[in-house]
Amino acid sequence: MSFSYNIQNSSKIELLKKRYPDNRALILPLLWLAQKQESYIREDAMEHISEIVQLPYMNIYSVATFYSMFRLEKTKKRIVEVCRTLSCELNGSEDIKKHLDDNYSDNFEIIEVECMGACSGAPMCTLDGKYIENLTPQMIDEVLNAN
Amino acid sequence: MQTKIVSKNFEIPLSHTIDVALENGRYSSLEATFSKKPQEIIDIIKQSNLRGKGGGGAPAGGKWQLASDYEGTKYLVVNADESEPGTFKDRRILSLDPHLLIEGIIATCYAIGSHTSYIYVRGEYEEFSDITQSAIDEAYERNFLGSNAKYRVDITIHRGAGAYICGEKSALLESLEGKRGHPRLKPKSPEPEFYFGSPTLVNNVETIASVPFIVKNGADAYRAYGTEQSPGTLLFAISGNVNRPGVYEAEFGVSMIDYIQKLGGGVKNGKKLKAVIPGGASTPILPADMVESARLDYESLRGLGSSLGTGGMIVLDEDASMVKALKNLLRFYHHESCGQCTPCREGTSWVDKIMNKFVEKRATKEDLQILKSVSKTMNGKTICVFAPAASGVIDGFLKHFESEFLECIK
Repeated sequence: MSFSYNIQNSSKIELLKKRYPDNRALILPLLWLAQKQESYIREDAMEHISEIVQLPYMNIYSVATFYSMFRLEKTKKRIVEVCRTLSCELNGSEDIKKHLDDNYSDNFEIIEVECMGACSGAPMCTLDGKYIENLTPQMIDEVLNAN
Repeated sequence: MQTKIVSKNFEIPLSHTIDVALENGRYSSLEATFSKKPQEIIDIIKQSNLRGKGGGGAPAGGKWQLASDYEGTKYLVVNADESEPGTFKDRRILSLDPHLLIEGIIATCYAIGSHTSYIYVRGEYEEFSDITQSAIDEAYERNFLGSNAKYRVDITIHRGAGAYICGEKSALLESLEGKRGHPRLKPKSPEPEFYFGSPTLVNNVETIASVPFIVKNGADAYRAYGTEQSPGTLLFAISGNVNRPGVYEAEFGVSMIDYIQKLGGGVKNGKKLKAVIPGGASTPILPADMVESARLDYESLRGLGSSLGTGGMIVLDEDASMVKALKNLLRFYHHESCGQCTPCREGTSWVDKIMNKFVEKRATKEDLQILKSVSKTMNGKTICVFAPAASGVIDGFLKHFESEFLECIK
């Protein structure tokens, strides 16, 4: 079945159209809505977006592949993003990543990412976008097993 | 030592909700704002010498004037894309006092003659931008925003999607226009930015959040803080090997070592200080002896061969490996290069790969020369300052800690 936005997202799009001087500006919000709806951005979703904004498919694909948070392939349902940048590394992020890889990679997509703007809570990760800071292996066990 | 202008309400419970915000002074500057002509507001900002707090430190008033001087549709874009390693201050405003930001946006829009503002929030900050969105919704309900407000302003949050380069203002605007975040060529003479062809002011979150205090209390009240050339305060952030990492507002010009000890709680585990990256990952590192004499203002740090940047300090203790730290940062630069300019795209990849050899202690003397040479090539030969920043980082590590790199040569 080809991609279409659900009713809730369609009404959001109508509101968003009034907020920008040019429909091209909708590309990022439309990609986000497509990803939220299906958990990743399908090829036919990008085709659909290209029709909405009246720009060639290439433009949508070019944007979708530039930004690291857009997922163009299906991933595991739950996502853990662990920060590897300097303040996190100085506070033990390598051990945290290893603990996650060793124990949770079957059920969670474990992704190493660049700075998440949580340096005072180093080491940190996000679980489905929610920040979890001042991590210890024990804390990971508690949070991931509870969820 | 802590001076609270922007962070005054941070510790008040539910400070992000409108009733608590109103009880604690939010929106109280609007009366002063609307009692003046727009140009008068711009003049106050100029007199205050408010400097952009996103890293560059350019005077805000001049940028406001450039945007104001154009007729017709104008935009205010608030840069909330902070993605610089070591920097996490804007997040505090978005989540703890979003009404302060909204108040600042209303005053700024009024001053430059804009009715439309976008807050470009980094994609990772979804939960913090949701808090800001609910504050915006409240502000609409209470007629601080929208067509029933005294001065009509509409605010839209635009969510980025994970690209450090979109913190660069022209890349941010490209992204806001629905394109890849590629920085634009800079004009020869000063002019505003343009969003879909209309003049646009781009200011950092903290810059806009500083506006209500200045408009309400006057330029002199703001200049009473900080130094002559760097007036006011900054939400300095501190992280790394310290006891109390966090965001603590302080006047410009305070001693860096005092800040680290008194607010950051000193170096963790009783270790000695080895070095500090003073203002986010793109500012050249300072060894401990230089930290002793450094003051937290633009001029002092420039004099020491570094820069204040965003004021996000990363503290490294005596056990930290400088080779590993540089490797960490260069991997970041490699990952985040937008790829538009060859010296940056190829250079950041090259230096990242060379650093593997140093970390694994299998580098050669030639590798060190290549590292220096590629760094030189990246500097000043690209559209934006991303590659020069990476180059400055490399040069800083090699200038102060070259012996550690020589130890990794087989």
